[in-house]
Amino acid sequence: MNLAVKGFIKALRSELLIARHTLGAWLVVLLPSVFISLQFLVVKMSETGAAARDSLLGQGGFDAIIANNAYGHFVDGLSMGLTLLGLLLVAQAAYSFSVDRDSGALRHLLIRCSSRRAVVLAKLLQLHLLALLAILLLIATSYLVSDSLWDFGPVVEDGFELIGEEEIASEIKLGLELALLPLPAAIAFGVLVSVAANSATQAVVSALGLSLVLDVFKGMLGEYAFYLYATFQPSLLDQSYLQDVGRLVRGYSDVLVDERFLELNQWVPLPALLILVVASLFVVQKRKV
Amino acid sequence: MSSEPPALSVTGLYKKYGQFEVLKGLDLVLYPGAIHGLVGLNGSGKTTTLECILGLQDFDRGEIRVLGHGPRKLHAAQGKIVAIFDTPSLNPNLTVRQSLRQALLLSDGAARKPAEVEAQLGITKFSDFKIKNLSLGNKRRASIAHALLANPEIILLDEPFNGLDAGGVDEVLALIKDLNQKQGTSFLLSSHQLPYLEEICSHIAILHDGQIAASDEKSRLLGSVQSTIRIQTNDNHRAAKIIGQQAGLSLQTNTSTDILLVNSEKIGPADINRQLVEQGLAVSEIVAERASLDSLFRRITQKPNP
Repeated sequence: MNLAVKGFIKALRSELLIARHTLGAWLVVLLPSVFISLQFLVVKMSETGAAARDSLLGQGGFDAIIANNAYGHFVDGLSMGLTLLGLLLVAQAAYSFSVDRDSGALRHLLIRCSSRRAVVLAKLLQLHLLALLAILLLIATSYLVSDSLWDFGPVVEDGFELIGEEEIASEIKLGLELALLPLPAAIAFGVLVSVAANSATQAVVSALGLSLVLDVFKGMLGEYAFYLYATFQPSLLDQSYLQDVGRLVRGYSDVLVDERFLELNQWVPLPALLILVVASLFVVQKRKV
Repeated sequence: MSSEPPALSVTGLYKKYGQFEVLKGLDLVLYPGAIHGLVGLNGSGKTTTLECILGLQDFDRGEIRVLGHGPRKLHAAQGKIVAIFDTPSLNPNLTVRQSLRQALLLSDGAARKPAEVEAQLGITKFSDFKIKNLSLGNKRRASIAHALLANPEIILLDEPFNGLDAGGVDEVLALIKDLNQKQGTSFLLSSHQLPYLEEICSHIAILHDGQIAASDEKSRLLGSVQSTIRIQTNDNHRAAKIIGQQAGLSLQTNTSTDILLVNSEKIGPADINRQLVEQGLAVSEIVAERASLDSLFRRITQKPNP
């Protein structure tokens, strides 16, 4: 086997061993699911209170119908979970390389088995595996908890089906795909900050700070925001398509879908990922470790 | 000198930090099976030299070959070279055992088992402790255990005795001797602890002003140092005059002090004593001081820079 590939595999196995035994990695995988489960419980309690009040007042109608449909909650859970996961992954990515450099553990990898670039690529892959686990768990948790608290089914008002389950499923699939596309670029952004920063603390603070600042100010960038991968990520100030899906699956008919936005959502994250990875590989060759 | 090809060679190494040139054409050779000590003043560039050898820092000029590989390609040596740094450098969130399992993953066919190395280093009882919760001495032991799993051919140690108590130092010295004798492991040790280096090293290199000021087999290097004789008499002024007239003897200090330090090439203390007594002087002390690494180091590093 090629020495470079062998070194990469060793570095990856080492990264996976570290991930298995460190709290940070477990938090990335578990926290989004735990958080949305709690969110569902709070929403359910709040809805139960509102339903009791409406029942006493003899009110109800469309709001009650959509509140009882699990699809809307399922999408909300995904959206909130992916928002949190995006931030956790950026922080973990920023921490990953810089903490190894701070502790000196990186030196062992470089001396014994891997090149700097192989270590960076191994860290990127390990973070993607963590992300994949977290996403699968998030989807499962969001589905199971919303199913246990509400009912999945078409949105029907006065016997008229506003949106069928097949259409809901296809919208959710599209929304989820588009929301996941920018995630690798977010991870690569964290890794770039990690290799460029002088310490783990600086890396994590910078990566999270830049992510949040970008989220807040992307509205001011106008058209230019469409060329940032972060615009398409579920976030605290969410502009992603998944947010629209949350309304679509509730049967709202006033959702305006911008086709250009969807198209850019498909094409912008990949070049951003490549640029960030290449930049990380370039910077890591130049830095003292 | 050995006729074998060197395990590690550094030729004409130059390294600058900004405008400050820390290494100015450093040459160093480590032969297989040698324990080579690298000594120098604080800031003389010992750690920089090791980091350049290990590919952890870029250098401006020069050539480095380790087991036939360049510094940025040391991983191609597949674990045959390892390093132990002055600050223990293991992942702080892993336990000792997990850290050793990680070392196994990094090595090609590790020859030793983690439990065996833990026992050798006396850290078996700390096996399930996280690295971050260990004392400095035990962190260093864990670092050494991490390095030893793959039976490396070369071990670079940067200040290996820092933070160790006397017992710990003895353990490390015994371990180095043992690995060197039984497995032929070569060592490059950078340290300030000259007595320890003198005890253990087969070769010594003294780094001063960015270059190797002296480097050779320890016995040859120390043999080149003139031996010193300490003399105290009832009349040091007269004694100094007598000594000054003797060929092969020269005074190191002036006679105003209570002790005369005499550089002697050929004449031993017994002859000097006899001559002084014959001249009617009472000799209260006469001691031949052994040439030491410390005296050689002081002599070289206290020379004014060229």
